[in-house]
Amino acid sequence: MAQTDIASPVADGMVHATKVGLVRVLGPAHVWALGVGIVLVGEYMGWNFAVGKGGAYAALIACWFAGLLYSCVAMIDSEVTSTVAAAGGQYTQAKHIVGPLMAFNVGLYLVFAYTMLEAANALTVGFLMETVAAMAGHEGLNPQPFIVLSILFLAWLNYRGVLATLNFSLVITAVAFVAILILFLGTAPWSDATPLRHAELMTDLPYGWLGVLAAMHFGLWYYLGIEGTCQAAEEVRSPARSLPFGTLAGIMTLVIAATLTWYVCVGLMPWEYLGQSGVPLFDAARMTGSTALLVLLGVGTLFATLASANGCINDASRAWFSMGRDHYLPAWFGAVHPVYRTPYRSIIFLVPIALVFALGAPLDQVVTFSILSGLLGYTFMPFNMIMFRRKWPLGSIKRGYVHPMHPVPAIVLILLCAVTFFAVFLGYGTQLIAMVVFYIVASLWFHLRRYRYVKRADQFTMPWPKPQGY
Amino acid sequence: MDVWTFLEVAAWALSALFAVLIIADWIRIDSTYDEDVLTSSREGEIEALTEEHR
Amino acid sequence: MARYRPPAQSKLGQIVDVIVLLALTFGALYLPLYMGLAGRTASPSPQENPTWESLGQNEAMVERWNALGYADPTAAQDIITSRFDYSFGALSLIVMVVVVVGYFVLMFRLSDREYREVIAEKFGRE
Repeated sequence: MAQTDIASPVADGMVHATKVGLVRVLGPAHVWALGVGIVLVGEYMGWNFAVGKGGAYAALIACWFAGLLYSCVAMIDSEVTSTVAAAGGQYTQAKHIVGPLMAFNVGLYLVFAYTMLEAANALTVGFLMETVAAMAGHEGLNPQPFIVLSILFLAWLNYRGVLATLNFSLVITAVAFVAILILFLGTAPWSDATPLRHAELMTDLPYGWLGVLAAMHFGLWYYLGIEGTCQAAEEVRSPARSLPFGTLAGIMTLVIAATLTWYVCVGLMPWEYLGQSGVPLFDAARMTGSTALLVLLGVGTLFATLASANGCINDASRAWFSMGRDHYLPAWFGAVHPVYRTPYRSIIFLVPIALVFALGAPLDQVVTFSILSGLLGYTFMPFNMIMFRRKWPLGSIKRGYVHPMHPVPAIVLILLCAVTFFAVFLGYGTQLIAMVVFYIVASLWFHLRRYRYVKRADQFTMPWPKPQGY
Repeated sequence: MDVWTFLEVAAWALSALFAVLIIADWIRIDSTYDEDVLTSSREGEIEALTEEHR
Repeated sequence: MARYRPPAQSKLGQIVDVIVLLALTFGALYLPLYMGLAGRTASPSPQENPTWESLGQNEAMVERWNALGYADPTAAQDIITSRFDYSFGALSLIVMVVVVVGYFVLMFRLSDREYREVIAEKFGRE
């Protein structure tokens, strides 16, 4: 067994107390793969529930407004994370800018949003295997072994090192994205022989404008998870450059993929069917009548779900690890594997949790838990941004990227979050309240009990001057 | 036994294999290295070296 | 300002803390489910002897329904006629606003109190 010299300061430039730390090996393409990889599965399943909530046009409006919401998220995250470059992403941002309790909450949002999404992805892999087996004439395939295998294989990959993990993500994400482009080209919208029938299939808004608001709930699905790029901050070679580049390239990729997906799907299927379909892009490929496209989009669905689960394991474990390292959670989780340089105990710990949800909970509940945690996180971001600029005005510290037009993106983000809260309220009001109550109870537990194990000044690790106003 | 039944068994077997690989390595690492070394990672130490703020 | 020295946590204490968090998580996910308060689903309003015309489907739509495997209107009508109910009461809306806004106010206030302590200890010693 090869042993690298873990104590050598020349290995990655680390000195001080750190004997074993995460390792900086990633480039901007990996950041793109991490962000887009987590999200792209949203185009293969889930976004179309927005069609069911408000009709085809409502889904397009939701797609673009959610795109605007996420562009604001990406800009804000790019600025803060290119400056606060540590694992934990938004958790570490909150710790430096807002305060420990908010950071604890943000860390939980991240872990739950990603672990639930991972469970949902594994469920989809199982469903896909079942469907393919049924199409091949084998009814009643047990999806459980495939659910378990996808989680354990990806956990093993993550355990073995971040570079291989994200190279894997890069390849399968690229394939899944190209599959969407080929599907669009395959329908040949410019020719007379195109199977697209937008003029005949499109209808008026079935629920009026209330439906457009309701559609925002699943409009988030087009992009949910792009903010995960921040989790790689401690493992990219030059965070100040790679993180803004990868994140902003990612959101552009997704706006293109989302719009193409919408365009092709609503031109191929009546909205009532599309609004409840389990695998909309696969169905779209079926409607074109081409076997090659059918196989391609089947493979695309599988790859997109695996890439997403892979990125989720990566991100959830980074957030959990960072909290352990700061003693927000038991310190045991703050360990780094001395050979593979991964937060291996956090990866292991989250495996059984993902398995329990993937094997035991209904899909829509799991998905809603994930969306709500994400939404709470987006609501935190604009306040975080405004406080960041106020405590450290431009010029007082070195920023890797400065986003334009502050505070417009922050205000737009607050407004869009309010709309989305209302949309969630229309469908899942009880879950929303239950979630918030959960976070309140967890916060009180942290504030009153857990926080006493945390060293006060040591949490503030950035070499910044004292914040203004303190 | 048709191909799908075989795939089910294979998936269970592979799952078990990955679980064993992870757990075996975990036990080996935890017993080989000192806890202080494993949990020695500190946030922001790279930044303190490579970036000059102020 | 005096430097705060946290106590070292025992192994048992670490395990207890993890169990507390897990219990909270599963509680938040499963309680609404057990209480039967989980999300609303769309419900269909079936017609007697539906035809494609009475369901408001034009020729292109009918062609697609057939291609999707719905040969006659009776099979497809549950999907076509199902609608969500978006009615809501003012009271529940107010409850939601109060809970969400109250939660964030609580977060920012308690966080700020802890944050001042951190900043005082970090920069006070220099």
